[in-house]
Amino acid sequence: MRQMKLFLGPQHPGMHGNASVHIYAEGDIIKRSYLLPGMLHRGFEKGMERHTWMNNIGLIPRVCVVEPDINEMAFAMGVEMLANIEVPERAHYLRMVILELARISIHLMSYGGLGGPTGLYTLMYHAHADRNRILNIFEKITGHRVYHMYIVPGGVRKDFPVGIENDIHEFLNDLESRYTEYRDLGIENPTVLARIKDNIMLPESVVWELGVTGVGMRSAVNKPYDLRKVKPYARYSEVEFDVPVYDYSDARNRVDIKLNELVQSIGIIRQCLEKMPTGPVRAKVGNGQSMRWTVPKGQVYSCVESSRGEFGYYIVSDGGTHPYRVGVRGASYPQGLLGIEKYMPGTRIDDAPLWIDTMGVCSPEIDR
Amino acid sequence: MMNSMNNVEFLNELVNSKFNVVKTEIINAEQMSFIVDSRDVHTLLTLLKTSGWKQLSYLSAIDWIKEDEFELVYIVFNWDRPVHIQVRTRIKRDRENASFETIIPIYPGAKYYEREVHEFFGIKFPGNPDFHKQLILENWDDMPPLLKDFDPRAYSDSHFEKRDYPEKHINLNNQESKQEKRQKRNLKSLLLRNGGKK
Amino acid sequence: MKKVNSIFTPWRLLKYLFKKPITIPFTKIFTQKNANYLNQNSIIKLNSRLDSEPREGADNIRGFHTNDWEECIGCGTCADICPTEAIFMAERLELPNEDGKLQQRPTIDYGRCCFCALCVDTCTTDSLKMSKEYIYSNSDPDAFLFMPTDTFEGQKVKEGYVKDEVSDLLDLKRVENPHELPEERKSSFVEIVRGYSKEFARLEAARCVECGVCTSACPVHMHIPQYIKAIWEDDIDGALRQVYETNPLPGVCGRVCTHNCETSCAIAVRGEAIAIRWLKRYIIDSAPDDMYENIILEPVSDVIDAKVAIVGSGPAGLGAAYYLRVMGYKVDVYEELSLAGGVMRYGIPAYRLPDTAIDKDINFIKHIGVNIKTNTRVGRDITMDQLEQDYDAVFLGTGFMKPRGLNIPGADHNRVVGAMEFLPKVREFERGNLSLEDIDVAENVVVIGGGDVAFDVARSATRLQMLKYGKSSVKLTSLENEDSLPATFDEYVEGAEEGVEFFCGNGPQEVVVENGKILGLKLWKCLCIFDEKGGFNPEFDKECEQIIEGEQIFIAIGQAPDYDYIPESIKDKISINRGKIEASIDGQVKDVPWLFVGGDILRGPDLIGGVSDGHRSAKAIDAYLYENAKKQDISDSLKAMREAVKESSPELTIRQGGKK
Repeated sequence: MRQMKLFLGPQHPGMHGNASVHIYAEGDIIKRSYLLPGMLHRGFEKGMERHTWMNNIGLIPRVCVVEPDINEMAFAMGVEMLANIEVPERAHYLRMVILELARISIHLMSYGGLGGPTGLYTLMYHAHADRNRILNIFEKITGHRVYHMYIVPGGVRKDFPVGIENDIHEFLNDLESRYTEYRDLGIENPTVLARIKDNIMLPESVVWELGVTGVGMRSAVNKPYDLRKVKPYARYSEVEFDVPVYDYSDARNRVDIKLNELVQSIGIIRQCLEKMPTGPVRAKVGNGQSMRWTVPKGQVYSCVESSRGEFGYYIVSDGGTHPYRVGVRGASYPQGLLGIEKYMPGTRIDDAPLWIDTMGVCSPEIDR
Repeated sequence: MMNSMNNVEFLNELVNSKFNVVKTEIINAEQMSFIVDSRDVHTLLTLLKTSGWKQLSYLSAIDWIKEDEFELVYIVFNWDRPVHIQVRTRIKRDRENASFETIIPIYPGAKYYEREVHEFFGIKFPGNPDFHKQLILENWDDMPPLLKDFDPRAYSDSHFEKRDYPEKHINLNNQESKQEKRQKRNLKSLLLRNGGKK
Repeated sequence: MKKVNSIFTPWRLLKYLFKKPITIPFTKIFTQKNANYLNQNSIIKLNSRLDSEPREGADNIRGFHTNDWEECIGCGTCADICPTEAIFMAERLELPNEDGKLQQRPTIDYGRCCFCALCVDTCTTDSLKMSKEYIYSNSDPDAFLFMPTDTFEGQKVKEGYVKDEVSDLLDLKRVENPHELPEERKSSFVEIVRGYSKEFARLEAARCVECGVCTSACPVHMHIPQYIKAIWEDDIDGALRQVYETNPLPGVCGRVCTHNCETSCAIAVRGEAIAIRWLKRYIIDSAPDDMYENIILEPVSDVIDAKVAIVGSGPAGLGAAYYLRVMGYKVDVYEELSLAGGVMRYGIPAYRLPDTAIDKDINFIKHIGVNIKTNTRVGRDITMDQLEQDYDAVFLGTGFMKPRGLNIPGADHNRVVGAMEFLPKVREFERGNLSLEDIDVAENVVVIGGGDVAFDVARSATRLQMLKYGKSSVKLTSLENEDSLPATFDEYVEGAEEGVEFFCGNGPQEVVVENGKILGLKLWKCLCIFDEKGGFNPEFDKECEQIIEGEQIFIAIGQAPDYDYIPESIKDKISINRGKIEASIDGQVKDVPWLFVGGDILRGPDLIGGVSDGHRSAKAIDAYLYENAKKQDISDSLKAMREAVKESSPELTIRQGGKK
């Protein structure tokens, strides 16, 4: 049969970010495929070497558009590790609230994103409307909706504004009351289910081969492999939550894990707000004015659990005012590049966007 | 985790008994680094993989231009014994011929990491079938950009048109610019520091 | 995990038929314009839309900047920190030229701005803030280049993101410099300020934002931010070279300068100024002698066949001598007393300025070939006419060394002592040339005056009393109130710590004498010091009288010049106004072109001001002599040094009245 070359993206409702998947298909079936990144390369790693430790907070959230906070967190943790900074207790809890709100926001977006490849746009509108409320909360806390620049080395930039807890509780209650509705609309919906059930498999062997982490890994290996549990950062050891897992990784189970995590995040935020200690929210990073802050020599790797898996920063300091090298490990790097090359072939063309969506491929973190 | 310190001790024992480790750094209970000779990298990674460090988290390079060396970093992780291990090694900073045997046979996921390192540092990875292929930088016409001697400002100045700002906000009131004078003076005083009043 | 779906599942979904749909009303529109448009033009007049209004940002939203130009000092720290280089400082010379301010204001390219608010967090004055405005559109790309003022597009706007203590990126607290404790220092002339250690100096240096506001406030325009940066980078060698380009007396200035730089420091707007003076002292204290060899490129010799005489070896004289020498002239300095240094040697007490510090500076000036002839008073040992004959130019820097008297009853008593009679004796005592018995200090003394000199007298007297009697009793009275004393605040604080009693805001009326002995000083409350025209004309309240006890009175109400050494033939050609000789900015006397003056006798007392006069005069003397003098061929590096001296010669500061 004649092979046909197709381009999925960079402009395609099923493509996340500006990357393109080149597909060679025979009939309906993809025979060969690879990701072509590079349309979004902003040279962040080089740029970070040329900014001071503090100035980098203007750059770092921009690595991933929809989930900027994990970048800030991983960078801040790395700098804290290098400089041996004790973060104030309250800052840990503030950070957790922000991170979990961000997790809800991206899970909503990604769940709504299911509407793209399946054609069920209602889902997307609902999810985005709710996400908008999170952005409103972010706006009140951090001063911006998307690029928060809130979690900084040493703690957070400002304390929570007075009364924001009420906003958060109100939103969480609303979201919780709509949870079954979301399920009914999405993964309980037979039309969607028909597309995602027993489709786009991710066997455990592939997980280990590629190095897939996050939802993909947990849906396949049936173990709570979540960095928040395995290697708790901030104060995740102080709050109770479950890590949803499956031993059978199809698209449906992966989406289901995301929805369950959303419930867990709601619980975490409530516990954080309840346990929130008082006190300072920022520790001193360096001496003098911020442009002359220096960080001791060393090399560390700091990582957090993003919605797509292990998201890490490799930070090298030569003792100066600028990082010597910053490397970013995008969470979806393994499945996004090698995964598409090796395991997308065999799926049908119309499932390709679904593959990208449920595997959690995010091109901005591949293309830093 | 409860037995996290044991993990570090376990690793120390495991690696140091079999390898001639140049330097072991314990960053905290959940992260440590082994700096080894470049010949030992593959065997060490194999050992770690068989000991449970099944996941390659990150692979990259650092350009130590002053020491004329590249440093390669492999970070592996074990979900059951949560310690991130940095395996680091240094190779000669040879712009044309720097190369390092691929680790695809050990960690197949390294394929694209190595391609990226090749693109951004110019290090070759024999054994990786596609390492030389262009991945991210389409039509790149300069040295690999993450090298320390690559100057992005000079690159963009030579490749893109510079946009001039309108001077409508500057008001010199028919006087000569004091800002320029200050800048000139500051520049001169910087030269002073370097020794020459030239 | 297998779930068997019930056949009734679809029925469950029927409930959504009767559920109220979720609607998020869209009544908050981006701008007023949008809202108006919607209200007027929408075809379907939905109630929910009729009351649409602009959406206001959250309370700390990072919107467009506002910048209060009154508060802004143009330091440019916002431009330095901007991660996207969106800010540059546009020059605005229509703004008033003031100390501590630069005539420039930030301009922001919103095509680049990432709204990170680092500029707000690092603003030295709090003038830069962010507003709640976040909508702006224009088809012209250049229209996105704004110069923020306190309004946005001409309208008052609500405040959005502002800095608080947590988000502040500056370090407003000075690193403590250890001082001797008052109880201990009171009984000796040991230097009070111990000086920074390397660690502390680098911590202090790290606070500097390199704005350079201080440079123009300094009379010699030292490269202050640059040498602070050198300290921070631990490059003493480089710092020393930068210091010496503009100031040949850094060790002295590092201790007793009036530090106008610190007054105008950008950090001082909200916090404590960078300890610029102490950092300079740190450079000198930590520079070993052999490092001084690097300051000038090669040893200078008399390459220009012209000779210059300098009368007086104070700051102005030595300043002129140093720069003239570096330019290649033969320089002789004439000093009346046995040690060079003038007011530094004989005026300022040793606890502020020890001899070792002066020696270090003067030794280097001698080292490069300046010839200092001590114990030679012009007018006594050598005449001015002789100087005129022997030299091609003469620089006078003789200062104000004569005590100014006070015209009140009883002031002619022999225990009424002038500051400049007393202080040299104190220095000589400290050097071991005088014994304690040689200095007359009573058990209870009164000091008249509110300047630094008055404090020097009071605190020196305290020390002598402690040594002599084991206890101290010093009273200080001045016309000015405590909060407007001309002395530096440190003096007031340290003086109080050492037990000086203050009677500020009073005018002395009479020295009360009985049986040839002083009993005390009669004071009237001072109502105001200056009259409406700004002239000195104090008014007193006679009702408010008090007598403070003391057996000895020190008068430190200012010093006067001594022009006895100038022969009448020259005096006829110069005009003296309030003790100061009238001359051009560079110190050249109009009708006596070979005569240059500087320091106190040109511009009034100020140590660093004297150095700047010396530097300016050196340049002017060079301009006066160079054309006609015989010259040798000089090397390129000497040429460069000559050029550097001329180029670095300072302009007058705003404080010195340098508006041209």
